[in-house]
Amino acid sequence: MTTKDVVFGALGLLACCSGVLVVTARNVIHAALWLVVTLGALAACYLLLTADFVAWVQVLIYAGAIVVLLLFAAMLTRAPVGPGQDLDSGNRPAAALVAGGVGVTLVTLLVQAFRSAYVDLDRVAGTGAGRPIGDALFRSYVLPFEIASVLLLAALVGAIVLTRPEIGRR
Amino acid sequence: MNQLISTSPLSLPSRAPVAATEATVSTFGHDPWWLILGKVVAVFVFLVLITLFLIWAERRIVARMQQRLGPNRTGPFGLGQGLADGIKLALKEEIIPAMADKPVYFIAPIVATIPAFLAFAVIPVGGVVSIFGHVTALQVTDLPVAVLFILACSSFGVYGIVLGGWASGSTYPLLGALRSAAQVISYEVSLALALVPIFLYAGSLSTSEIVAAQNRFWFVFLVPSFVIYMVSAVGETNRAPFDLPEAEGELVGGFHTEYSSLKFALFFLAEYINMTTVSAVATTLFLGGWHAPFLLSRVPVLNSGWFGLVWFTLKLLTVLFGFIWLRGTLPRLRYDQFMRLGWKLLIPASLVWLLLVAAMRTLVVEDVNLRRNLVPVGIVFVVLLLLVSFWPSSKKPDRDGEGEDGHPEIAVGNRAFPVPVLPGEQTDPTLAPREVTRA
Amino acid sequence: MSTAQSLPALAADFPAPQIAYSALSPMVAVFGAALIGVLVEAFAPRRARAGLQLAVALLGLLGGLLAVGLLAGTREVTAVGAVAVDGPALFVQGTVLALGVAAMLLLAERSLESGGGAIVAQAATVPGSADERALVGTDHLQTEVFPLAMLAIGGMLLFPASNDLLLMFVALEVLSLPLYLMCGLARRRRLLSQEAAVKYFLLGAFSSAFFLYGLALLYGYAGTVSLPGIAAATQVTASNDGLLYTGLGLLTVGLLFKISAVPFHSWTPDVYQGAPTPVTALMATGTKVAAFGALLRVYYVAFGAIRWDWRPLLWVIAIATMAVGALLAITQRDVKRMLAYSSVAHAGFILTGVVAATRAGLAGSLFYLLAYGFTTLAAFGILTLVRDADGEATDLSSWAGLGRRSPMVAGAFAILLLALAGIPLTSGFTGKFAVFSAAADAGAAGLVVVAVVCSAIAAFFYVRVIVLMFFNEPAADGPTVAIPGAFTSAALALGVAVTVVLGVFPSPLLKLADQAALFIR
Repeated sequence: MTTKDVVFGALGLLACCSGVLVVTARNVIHAALWLVVTLGALAACYLLLTADFVAWVQVLIYAGAIVVLLLFAAMLTRAPVGPGQDLDSGNRPAAALVAGGVGVTLVTLLVQAFRSAYVDLDRVAGTGAGRPIGDALFRSYVLPFEIASVLLLAALVGAIVLTRPEIGRR
Repeated sequence: MNQLISTSPLSLPSRAPVAATEATVSTFGHDPWWLILGKVVAVFVFLVLITLFLIWAERRIVARMQQRLGPNRTGPFGLGQGLADGIKLALKEEIIPAMADKPVYFIAPIVATIPAFLAFAVIPVGGVVSIFGHVTALQVTDLPVAVLFILACSSFGVYGIVLGGWASGSTYPLLGALRSAAQVISYEVSLALALVPIFLYAGSLSTSEIVAAQNRFWFVFLVPSFVIYMVSAVGETNRAPFDLPEAEGELVGGFHTEYSSLKFALFFLAEYINMTTVSAVATTLFLGGWHAPFLLSRVPVLNSGWFGLVWFTLKLLTVLFGFIWLRGTLPRLRYDQFMRLGWKLLIPASLVWLLLVAAMRTLVVEDVNLRRNLVPVGIVFVVLLLLVSFWPSSKKPDRDGEGEDGHPEIAVGNRAFPVPVLPGEQTDPTLAPREVTRA
Repeated sequence: MSTAQSLPALAADFPAPQIAYSALSPMVAVFGAALIGVLVEAFAPRRARAGLQLAVALLGLLGGLLAVGLLAGTREVTAVGAVAVDGPALFVQGTVLALGVAAMLLLAERSLESGGGAIVAQAATVPGSADERALVGTDHLQTEVFPLAMLAIGGMLLFPASNDLLLMFVALEVLSLPLYLMCGLARRRRLLSQEAAVKYFLLGAFSSAFFLYGLALLYGYAGTVSLPGIAAATQVTASNDGLLYTGLGLLTVGLLFKISAVPFHSWTPDVYQGAPTPVTALMATGTKVAAFGALLRVYYVAFGAIRWDWRPLLWVIAIATMAVGALLAITQRDVKRMLAYSSVAHAGFILTGVVAATRAGLAGSLFYLLAYGFTTLAAFGILTLVRDADGEATDLSSWAGLGRRSPMVAGAFAILLLALAGIPLTSGFTGKFAVFSAAADAGAAGLVVVAVVCSAIAAFFYVRVIVLMFFNEPAADGPTVAIPGAFTSAALALGVAVTVVLGVFPSPLLKLADQAALFIR
């Protein structure tokens, strides 16, 4: 049990707890903020696993951009931004049961599968750095990477179709 | 961690040998704790001092541009004005709106300030020096992905603004916050894209290595990148002429309308430090970092160690002067004009430029005979340009008097409408403005 | 330049990946046409767009078909192992492209509505608003639907050819996302259409998440996402079976959702009903064909060695799918919903071919997919013709006596229904015979018995519609049958012709499917 293990465990706990708070928060904005904490804690976990590129991309993209967009959407639309009761429905217990079941199953599964797995961080250090990631993206997975751009194009066109009226123009 | 990466087989191949005064990522991670602490405190003090100086400088410079004097009572040349303002702010009455969401209201200024300070940790302010026998670089730390870290910090800072505006429980701050979010998200794209050509040339994302790569040529020769970066940086820091989140005429004070006392001071601090940070990044990535300018860089003494700090500060202040100059000169843009500039000009332009740079790098790397291959390409390009510029315009004249951007055109030269007199225009002498008298 | 020396070094230890573009040419043609379509949208004047878009799309699809024809017989893995171009992939791609041509023709038909076609004039207008009312009668058209359809078809081509799960996931998203959007673009009954789009989107995203989770667990199991890699892992290690089976299960959920197998079928009737009918036609045929292609590849290539573990699971799902599809179709009062449940039942019939896990099963499934695709596409095409004042009249009661008013259309529909029921001398019979005999040979006789019973149940509701059309009095205020324009006529003729020809003279295609039915491993 090194300091690193303790910190890693604490971050994991933080991520889990704030994850629960994301779901239980009565206020959309607070939920989004707890999501930031979750994502930040995950980024810190990546850092501890010596994947610094992944970690900072996680902060930049997820915590820094996507949740800001979420907040933005919540504030711009007529969604209730104050504390509201209508965030929950009567299905709460059922949802909790399903989520708990899935969680327990997955944890059991992963613990069982990787109980004796051991990764020497010194040996794999840098696999999450910029160069190996670039190598994976532009060589091993170049086609999925390029096709993902097609997917984004479709989303872009779709967003314009759904939102931008063009009455009588041109 | 840095040690691990530098020893792993996957790390960058050792670069062309550089002078011992240049730092690389592997320079870091060996400092004793007191040195790290000292560096952190020094950066903190440096930033606070710069902020105090900026507050004074901004007021004095803008005053000079407007033919005024500006603050000149507190200390020599009024230099104590920043400090006096700070003390005044801290001692003001703290007002918390009844509708405020208390926890978020408290956190927001802190969230705005901390990333602003953090980003400076990877800025190299000088070369490798020896402090009490320890050889170390004048930089708190460096990462293989330091520029990414800076971008992450700046994107995190926007939370302070959005949350501050939302938690105030008031309309105008909320609108200001939303504008700011839209603004930062939009301009962050072009800002980051403008940096990519630098990475292509430097072959690294580490700030110290990027500075080292500018040993002989500054990356400012990537002019379009520099211009796009600077414009985006002004947008990103909500400074005039892009200070729409705090447009007084439309939004009262913007996202911090409901803030007072120390919390307002924190927002204020964060804004100035952000400005300092983007200027420092511009200095580091485009203006050669702490390297001595031009011919002076041939003198080894002037181009290393503590002298770097001097050059860095001078460059930083020059860029900051540009920010103040802009504020004193340009009127604020309308919101839609601002968004159009970002999305329709800066982002496409930076994409095209990135493509060009990447193509050039590929040609160099692949060792293509540039002269033989590029001349035909250039001729085709010029012909295309000529074709485009002389192509008969098919645009119909506007029907309903609407201009290019959809608002009514005002007939130019119609003096019936009271407009300011243009330079050199003959006017009724009785209406001529009186000579401005100096105070 | 101090860095100039270091960059060639970087390039030297980063060789570019090898990609055989010729093997990818069908995808390149379709995606290229989609990109050109986006450019057309940006630069062409509005009046010229619809025609130009159709031309670009058809050129892309026919170019893709040509490429598939030229590639016939190719067995190649390319793009760093991500894409497998082999018999089943090319067969499915050819089928999807041909179906895409017909669906594109249906999409381009503008003579049925007052100038606009089945697609909304402007998706951004609020349903029921003054803007919308002003536009509904005009010839405005949201022409972006063409590039979106092309992107979806591109995804459908890539999905069955994906040789690694990551690419398969991305292809799944590429084929789904444009379809989510297109579901919400109906010109009439827009609220229903938008509801369908949201429903499809939410459930589809949910199922994608299942797929992704399964992918992650399988990666944890095998240490790779490539299908041959996973196959190798299943043969070597006996540990971590929990990861393997949970991953396989979650992956299956994602795939079964796309083929609308029970119990992941509940979105099908609502979405098929709400979407514009040409889009429904594309969804019910292209998506299903592509998804079965991918399902077959996953099960045969990656999990072929553990087929004794997944066959019981698919056995149960096939029975449930056939039974639920056939039984619920009987209760429907709406022709479009009935066809939706029929497509659920057909997913079950094709699954019997998958359960066989033999070369004959694969060949039978491929043949069935092609036959089912053309028949269903033409059936949905006929739905666009039967109209009243509100647009398409899909209520079953209003179809009464249609055969007396319009024997041509009703006759064509009857042939298609007979094919869907699996009556001899139609393609449906040949297809059913192929998959059932393959399943029986592979020892799934019980399943075949259930399948035959379900076919009989299903035949009941198909025949009921025929009886309704030909032996009932037409209602006084019944719908009219529009004269199909050239585009719809072409699509319908293609569908009916394939249905009949494959029923009467199936052997060449059966032989082709048999030749194609070999995955590259």
